[in-house]
Amino acid sequence: MTTLHAHDAAHGHDDHHDHPPHLAHHWDNPKQQFEAGKLGMWLFLATEVMLFGGLFCGYSVYRHNHPEVFAYSSHYLNTTLGATNTCVLILSSLTMAWGVTAAQQNKIGLLKLMLVLTLMGAATFLVIKYFEYTHKFHEGLFPGIKFYEKPGEHSHMWVNVDSAPPGAAEHAATTETAPAGAPASADQLHAASGGAAPASAPAFEIQTVSITPGTGAALPPAEASTVLPAAAGPAGLGTGEAIAIPEAELLRDRHPAHMQPLQDPTRPANMHMFFNIYYMMTGLHGIHVVIGMIVITWLLVKTFKGQFSSEYFTPVDLGGLYWHVVDLIWIFLFPLFYLI
Amino acid sequence: MTTLDISKPLHPTIGEDNYLTHTRGILSWLFTLDHKRIGVNYLVCVLTSFFFGGMFALLVRTELLTPGKTIVEQDAYNQFFTLHGAIMVFLVIIPSIPAALGNFVLPIMLGAKDVAFPRLNLMSWWLWVTGAVFFVGSLFTGGLDTGWTFYTPYSIDKGSAMGGAVSALMGVFILGFSSIFTGLNFIVTIHRLRPPGMTWFRMPLFLWAIYSTAILQVLATPVIGITVALLMFERTFGIGIFDPKLGGDPVLYQHFFWFYSHPAVYIMILPGMGIISELIAVHSHKHIFGYRFIAFSSVAIAIFSFLVWGHHMFTSGQSPLMNAMFSAITFSVAIPSAVKVFNWVATMYKGSISLNTPMLYAMAFLFIFSIGGLTGLHLGTLAVDIHLHDTYFVVAHFHYVMMGSALIAMIGGLHHWWPKMTGKMYNENLGRLACALVFIGFNVTFFTQFFLGTKGGTRRSWDYLPEFQVYHIISTIGSYILAIGFFLTAGYLIHSLFRGKKAPANPWGGRSLEWQCASPPPHDNFATTPTVGDCYDFSTVEWDEKQGTFVVHGEGQPSPAHSHH
Amino acid sequence: MSTSRLIAIALIVLTILGGIALVIAGDTMWFPRKASTVAPQMDLVFNIITWISIFFFVLIMVVMFWFAGEYHTGRQAKATSDVTHNTPLELTWTIIPLILVIAIFYVGLEGYLNLRVAPVGAYDVRVTAQKWSWLFEHSNGASEANVLRVPLNRPVRLLMQSKDVLHACFIPAFRVKQDIVPGRISTIWFEAKEAGEFDLFCAEYCGKDHSMMRAKVIVKPEAEFIADLKEAAELHKKLSDSELAQYAMSKLYVRCQSCHSLDGKRGTGPSWRETNANWNKERVFKDGNKEVVNENYIRESILNPGLHIVETFTNAMPTFKGQLDDRQIAALTLAIKNLQHFDNAGKLKAGEAIDWQIPGGFPGLYGGDGSVPANGGAASSPATIPPSNTP
Repeated sequence: MTTLHAHDAAHGHDDHHDHPPHLAHHWDNPKQQFEAGKLGMWLFLATEVMLFGGLFCGYSVYRHNHPEVFAYSSHYLNTTLGATNTCVLILSSLTMAWGVTAAQQNKIGLLKLMLVLTLMGAATFLVIKYFEYTHKFHEGLFPGIKFYEKPGEHSHMWVNVDSAPPGAAEHAATTETAPAGAPASADQLHAASGGAAPASAPAFEIQTVSITPGTGAALPPAEASTVLPAAAGPAGLGTGEAIAIPEAELLRDRHPAHMQPLQDPTRPANMHMFFNIYYMMTGLHGIHVVIGMIVITWLLVKTFKGQFSSEYFTPVDLGGLYWHVVDLIWIFLFPLFYLI
Repeated sequence: MTTLDISKPLHPTIGEDNYLTHTRGILSWLFTLDHKRIGVNYLVCVLTSFFFGGMFALLVRTELLTPGKTIVEQDAYNQFFTLHGAIMVFLVIIPSIPAALGNFVLPIMLGAKDVAFPRLNLMSWWLWVTGAVFFVGSLFTGGLDTGWTFYTPYSIDKGSAMGGAVSALMGVFILGFSSIFTGLNFIVTIHRLRPPGMTWFRMPLFLWAIYSTAILQVLATPVIGITVALLMFERTFGIGIFDPKLGGDPVLYQHFFWFYSHPAVYIMILPGMGIISELIAVHSHKHIFGYRFIAFSSVAIAIFSFLVWGHHMFTSGQSPLMNAMFSAITFSVAIPSAVKVFNWVATMYKGSISLNTPMLYAMAFLFIFSIGGLTGLHLGTLAVDIHLHDTYFVVAHFHYVMMGSALIAMIGGLHHWWPKMTGKMYNENLGRLACALVFIGFNVTFFTQFFLGTKGGTRRSWDYLPEFQVYHIISTIGSYILAIGFFLTAGYLIHSLFRGKKAPANPWGGRSLEWQCASPPPHDNFATTPTVGDCYDFSTVEWDEKQGTFVVHGEGQPSPAHSHH
Repeated sequence: MSTSRLIAIALIVLTILGGIALVIAGDTMWFPRKASTVAPQMDLVFNIITWISIFFFVLIMVVMFWFAGEYHTGRQAKATSDVTHNTPLELTWTIIPLILVIAIFYVGLEGYLNLRVAPVGAYDVRVTAQKWSWLFEHSNGASEANVLRVPLNRPVRLLMQSKDVLHACFIPAFRVKQDIVPGRISTIWFEAKEAGEFDLFCAEYCGKDHSMMRAKVIVKPEAEFIADLKEAAELHKKLSDSELAQYAMSKLYVRCQSCHSLDGKRGTGPSWRETNANWNKERVFKDGNKEVVNENYIRESILNPGLHIVETFTNAMPTFKGQLDDRQIAALTLAIKNLQHFDNAGKLKAGEAIDWQIPGGFPGLYGGDGSVPANGGAASSPATIPPSNTP
């Protein structure tokens, strides 16, 4: 907003003011400029709330309509890492606020320290998020349609039938490594559906599939319904056939969160929706953390240049406000995704 | 505030330094921090976009002269109406009054040197330009045929809707931020840069209107931002939030979209209403009637506009309860608008009316906005809307309020402030002629469409039944008359830049602060501290033949607050 | 009298006349026939709003024009009045409109709620909307494209679904409309009280041929309605091949015509005239593959159109799987194969002795001289294609 470089090229600076260097020409006094800056920042934060508000609304609607999806899927999130991130962000808000106070008290050295600590907190947050995301991608929990592709070779959660204990083979309904019912490739989807859309956005058939969990066998698909049921989703996105895993295996150390969803017969339809909303919201939040880091770095640079003092620290104050809102949004996100 | 420099004369004549001549060169315009230059930049951009949007409109109307193909096939036609709508809504009407006229006038009306955040203002303009580039980009990345509303699942299905959608959606996203930052700037400016003596209830009504609009811009626009972002992700990654094939809900998209787009239409009309208040008061030389009501109604309309988005979705499958609630609240929004119209007409009572071009546009506004608002009653009524939804009745209604009202108000305001902005007077007779052409052309074009709609003529239809053809032909002829009116306007306005008479500081006899600085204003807006009184008290305004301008008597002393009759 | 006064009076007179004209012209100027039981009520609500609107509009405009003429004083006028507000007046013109709009809201709500709930015992028709045609299925198995048969004086409920994008069912003469949302079944009801033919439109933009997605609603008294439906249900079961081809051209082709022409003109899809000319010849596709144009190719194109797309065309055809049974697919195949016997309007060329190219066919099987009976009526002999078991 209003900063130090108020003398634009177009303005001939022929009248001699004795105003402080940070006061822009259209303001009467520094206090007026500061108040205006604050009002402007609060308005901007209101827009951020409205931006995320839309996503929170989407979350509420889907959670209300499909509670089973959220109840099941939230187990795939690592609560420890999430809690750690929450603490990190709260601490970084503390250091930021401390920094503002330091500026107010003209303790510029302390301000520098606090800004650096805040920056480190933000970086830690992003690093932890990086690990969370890559782990999920590793397990095949992608956003969008990629969710329904078989995860890579080194997925921890995937059970290869070949490596299943002896005795599993006689129960196996199929020896394929891809679960039947989940398409191996988008092209297969496309061909199977006879849809008009190109392969990158396949049109699906709707098939109702009944399975009996644990038997490894599926009843033949019912006659293709011509009605698109909203919640069921297409074949492969609905409850699908599962790889044959004997009962004993099913029970032993098989917390739902340790099973790749595509192999879990009890997974609810459309569970990809949870991950979509999760990635959209935490992704947008992550982008705002990055923006916050850029802002704090810029503040740090200006602090080192000696441009802040107890007389003028408006950008620090406003940057602090922004950081607090970023933190606040995470404080809402954490329980909504990780805890409930 | 302003620097006190009483050595400079009150009204410097043209030839002396003003904002147009203060610095030279294209870069001094592209990277200016002067709100006036930014306003002019916006004006050029908005009017250029209006030209292109209008061209698409003429193509649409020409195609509709006959059922089936007249000049183009369906795919081209579908792109024409989509681009016409998207360009007009996002690139023209939403920014036009606030960003083009508001940027210029608002600080001067406040006696200020600039807006609160000049750099942010410049960024807003560059965001507009970037957004426009992405928009145009959609033409080169596959075209755009989803309608300006981008309804799902059609807009998601890459097999059907054209590929330019993502580029256009990115454009909308960026344009949204342009709008947000402009609104933010204006709110802070009005809060913090009012001069001493200008309390809230001494502000010109144009500023109340801009303020209410700014609230809408700040709070509503982020929602369209997130909506188009979600839509872009839907299209590229298939996240499924709006796609029934992936477990999503297409009606949820409509809720998201209209939650912004309904307040958006009030972003379009509220500034127009603000302009009308100025035009009628000044050109009738009469205090505005019912100042407080008009001021409060602007804010009330802004607040209520957040509560009625569902009236675009009466047939979407929404529950009857929601439909009833939205319908009821919609009617409550109608009342403040209606009373404003009564107030404006009452302002003319016992006025001393000069039928200048701006006044003629204001009267045209009253005529057209009344029809537009009244037909809104039909559409807000549940039983009737079932028949009228998605027919030409809706098309006629929104053109009456968006084009015939908001845009006409903008053009009226442009004529009103043209002498101030350019220092030149345009040809008054041509102005009146063009106003008549625009008025007649507009009504012929769009009144016909009310009948077309009630008869069952669906919108966005390249082909139609032969019995509808006569309506389409009349409507198209009207659109050509309308176009001639606009071309004539452009002609004499551009001509006035080179050959127009020199404009005095106060050609119309206004009392708000912008008429107390030179035409065009100097770089810093005011040479001396302006007088702040009742901006609608014209009793102290008189034509000075010698100076060739209106002057405000008793300068230096604030006039008493508005007098009672 | 000054010019401005004259103009003002002229405008006042024009406005009043215009208002009167609109009121007198009444319904016929605005609406199609009132063909359903709710239409009169809807039109009445519309008229009430319109009359109120015209009244206030004329009033405001008359006052405005009068003031403009009366108080016009030229460019350099001086203010003469300081009237700024009048609280009783402002209150009056706030409260009266408020009461009026509450009344309008109420009558609107009443009419709407009536539309939302179908009467008990309404006759159900299943509707499938797809880019860019309609399919109507009745309880006796009759399924017709772009034709909706309904009985007179009997409530009818439509259960509508979409196979792809948003559509909307709009019947102006009945004053009903409802969006069809993919993923749900939407309902709408009406009771036709006038016999005849009415238009049904798609009222939600759905892509290229949205404006051509039309159907005809045919209202007949109950007895005739039942007879028509019976005929529709039986229609393609007992036909011989020649009659099947004619059945395809007269009853099924309506769903294909928006994209496939009969006269060789290129549309969204290839013209059937061209396909017919290429029968038993190879066709090249976009992916470089080739296939011979024969019965299998037609079947595949109907059920899985995205698989092979002819060069220079796009993948725009939806699948008809689940909507056309085997017999109907056979009918279409026969029609395309024998298109040389049909003119560009889809009618059998008059006076031709038609050899249906049925290999090994027997003279005498189909009529004395081997030609098709002129009326295309039910065959007196078993068709060569065994009837399928599906209705």
